[in-house]
Amino acid sequence: MAFKKGLFKTSVGRKNLMAITGLFIIFFLVIHLIGNLILIIPDTFFPIEFWGGVESAHDMYNAYSHFLVHFWPITLVAWVLYAAIAVHVIDALLITLNNNKAKGEKYQVTDNSTSSWISRNMGILGSIIGIFIVIHMAQFWLKYKVLGTEPDLYQLVVATFKQEWVVILYEIGIIALGFHLVHGIESAHRSLGVYSKNAMHVIKYIALCFALVMTVLYAIIPIIIYFK
Amino acid sequence: MKLTLKIWRQDNAKAKGKLVTYKLSDLSADMSFLEMLDMLNEELAIKGERTVEFDHDCREGICGQCSLVVNGQAHGPEQHYTTCQTHLRSFSDGDTLTIEPFRANSFPVIRDLKVDRTSMDHIIQAGGYISSFTGIAPEANTVPIHHDISESAFDSAACIGCGACVATCKNSSAALFLSAKVAHLAKLPQGKVERAERVVFMVNAHDDEGFGSCTNTGACAMVCPQEVQLIDITRMNYEYNRSLTTVEG
Repeated sequence: MAFKKGLFKTSVGRKNLMAITGLFIIFFLVIHLIGNLILIIPDTFFPIEFWGGVESAHDMYNAYSHFLVHFWPITLVAWVLYAAIAVHVIDALLITLNNNKAKGEKYQVTDNSTSSWISRNMGILGSIIGIFIVIHMAQFWLKYKVLGTEPDLYQLVVATFKQEWVVILYEIGIIALGFHLVHGIESAHRSLGVYSKNAMHVIKYIALCFALVMTVLYAIIPIIIYFK
Repeated sequence: MKLTLKIWRQDNAKAKGKLVTYKLSDLSADMSFLEMLDMLNEELAIKGERTVEFDHDCREGICGQCSLVVNGQAHGPEQHYTTCQTHLRSFSDGDTLTIEPFRANSFPVIRDLKVDRTSMDHIIQAGGYISSFTGIAPEANTVPIHHDISESAFDSAACIGCGACVATCKNSSAALFLSAKVAHLAKLPQGKVERAERVVFMVNAHDDEGFGSCTNTGACAMVCPQEVQLIDITRMNYEYNRSLTTVEG
């Protein structure tokens, strides 16, 4: 009776949906980063006996991508991820449209000192990330599918990151992601109702550190490959 | 001291408004902001012009009637002050102040700086009540309440419903006001009877009134004259999600 509007149709419910999908995407980002760090393992680390004597980063990365494509639970999680991104984007658009409708006439004088630039511009940061994802998918995911059976993904990545504009584009996308995470992680926990001043205080700093570590680690990969 | 005021003048809800410039001199730094507007209105009345309309009542920072956005800041430049408690010593001689009404679609302008905040009353009506025994007033302190909880509930109950949170929010969300009301009653034993349904009724009413969705920028808590904190919004979200599993029917 009380929930006549439906779970995710109220202002609070929609934010819940943003938080859940956002946190799932963050989980993916961690896994994605760990996989990609294989690309920059120095040659001196090989052969790694622990993993059956892998000879080079080249072999290891291609074996890793082969595993991702042929292990069905990964495919399943990938589809959940695509759905999460789609819901995150659509929900953000719905919230923004509704919020724009709620706004009255514009103030003649505005003062933004009461909130951070990041928190006010999650939409712009998200749009940059969205454009980045489309290009990123076109460069690798699409090519991998088009090139057919067992392409040399390592070679494709290295060749792509030897282009200056690609490196610059990736740095922009990654920095936007870092800023998006700073506010996103804190906001998600608030939306889900982590009612504890101490916990929120800690989460705020964890979000900052996490965003910094993610940004730095993601950002060095294209740069290292470019100068290799 | 001398001040230049740019004041929003608008004849009624449908008319188009504009900023009109007035110059005031012989002001005292000890005057309150509203006394300055009184002085302006006296001058306008003598000249036979229509006076500037603005909301005010107690003028001691507790009724929540005064509003006004001064230079883009709800309730003026002093943090956690109402407009009526702001004095001219907060400004410098020769300053130009732009004075606008609280803006949100749910706060239609009645005239000049006066806005209709009935939408907030509708949120209160949707769930701001408790069940209790009728008859003579019970002995106080029959229900033991932990000191910290009663203090915390009082911090939330301090909300005077002025609407500065809505005026400041980039989404015109009333989440801070709404959550202060939800949290205040949810924390106390007297509010437990309707605890689960209250938050849902009030959030639904908030959305029906056309307020936006909270994006946790925290601007509201920075201007709130009663220092209601952002954690109250988190409490409201907690109550909302908790009620998903507890509402009957």
